[in-house]
Amino acid sequence: MNAIFAAIFFAACLLFLFSDPDLFLAAMLKGGQKAATLSLSLLSVYCVWLGFFKVMEKSGAMGCVSRAMTPLARRLFRTQDKEAISLAAGNLSANLLGLPGAPTPLGIRATQRFLAQNNGFAAEMLFVLNATSLQLLPTTVIALRLAMGSASPADIFLPTLLATAFTTLLGVLLLLAAETCGRKRRAR
Amino acid sequence: MKFVSLIIPLLFLIVFAVALLRRVKLYDCFTEGVKEAVPLLLSVFPYLAAMLILAELFEASGLSRMIAEFLTPFYRLLGIPPEISSLVLIKPFSGSGSTALLSEIFSTYGADSYIARCAAVAYGSGETVFYISAVYFAGAKKKLLRPILISLVANFSGVVLGCLLLRIF
Repeated sequence: MNAIFAAIFFAACLLFLFSDPDLFLAAMLKGGQKAATLSLSLLSVYCVWLGFFKVMEKSGAMGCVSRAMTPLARRLFRTQDKEAISLAAGNLSANLLGLPGAPTPLGIRATQRFLAQNNGFAAEMLFVLNATSLQLLPTTVIALRLAMGSASPADIFLPTLLATAFTTLLGVLLLLAAETCGRKRRAR
Repeated sequence: MKFVSLIIPLLFLIVFAVALLRRVKLYDCFTEGVKEAVPLLLSVFPYLAAMLILAELFEASGLSRMIAEFLTPFYRLLGIPPEISSLVLIKPFSGSGSTALLSEIFSTYGADSYIARCAAVAYGSGETVFYISAVYFAGAKKKLLRPILISLVANFSGVVLGCLLLRIF
């Protein structure tokens, strides 16, 4: 991440020197402003969902979800830790349902827990699952197409679903392959 | 669409009703959950800010446009319309940036054109990889490159597949 940050930063900075140096600070400040406004909207999302998840946890509903997902989650994340499995299972279900903002707080806590247990593989797996998009219904796109006067806004549903299922599957397989290779190299 | 909008209210209703039946103190419990919101945001904020500033520099400097132009022949080879190349490039960095590009493509080429449909699939099948990595791995010391690379490769293959599928559908 440090390398990517440095590379993009220097390249962009040089471009600004030759094009319009005045816009350099303006662009950075705009990024900072976006961070500030986004944080506020994230905070509102966290308030609603963390409150909701606490109620779900105390009512035992969270336990039900995680119990249903446990066999899959155990294989996927290679862990027995119930707390981490229930967080990760909640994250995956919220992703599938497309609940806006809900996966993030669960995902962060699950990742922190995995990393605290030195289970880097599980953290990477959870990240790949989230970063390849699990959403069943592309609501933003459909709403935007509807607003732009599309005749059948939902006709991209099937291709999107197939493409996103493919990305997730490919991501998981690549990570498993990379993990197996890494292990073999370490064993040698 | 009508059915989908029922999911969230029903979810809340069912969970809160179950909680009430189990004699959970709803108010106390809800506030206890909200208590974790600010610490969670604080732990994520520095990484979020750095990433968004970087995304802004990437776009405003014209670097993303230059890379997009450079990659055009490569995209054409893979069957991705060159018109959506900036969208494919920005998507991993910024959600709001790619949403803006998507609506621009919709208004330029018409929401039902092949290009717009490719853009829609490219937008819907991928995720903001760098943004998620900033938030999820906030402060982690572990190597991040492997999962990021894997996710980028997978999402890019999804765009190629999506554009191919749209020629058939």
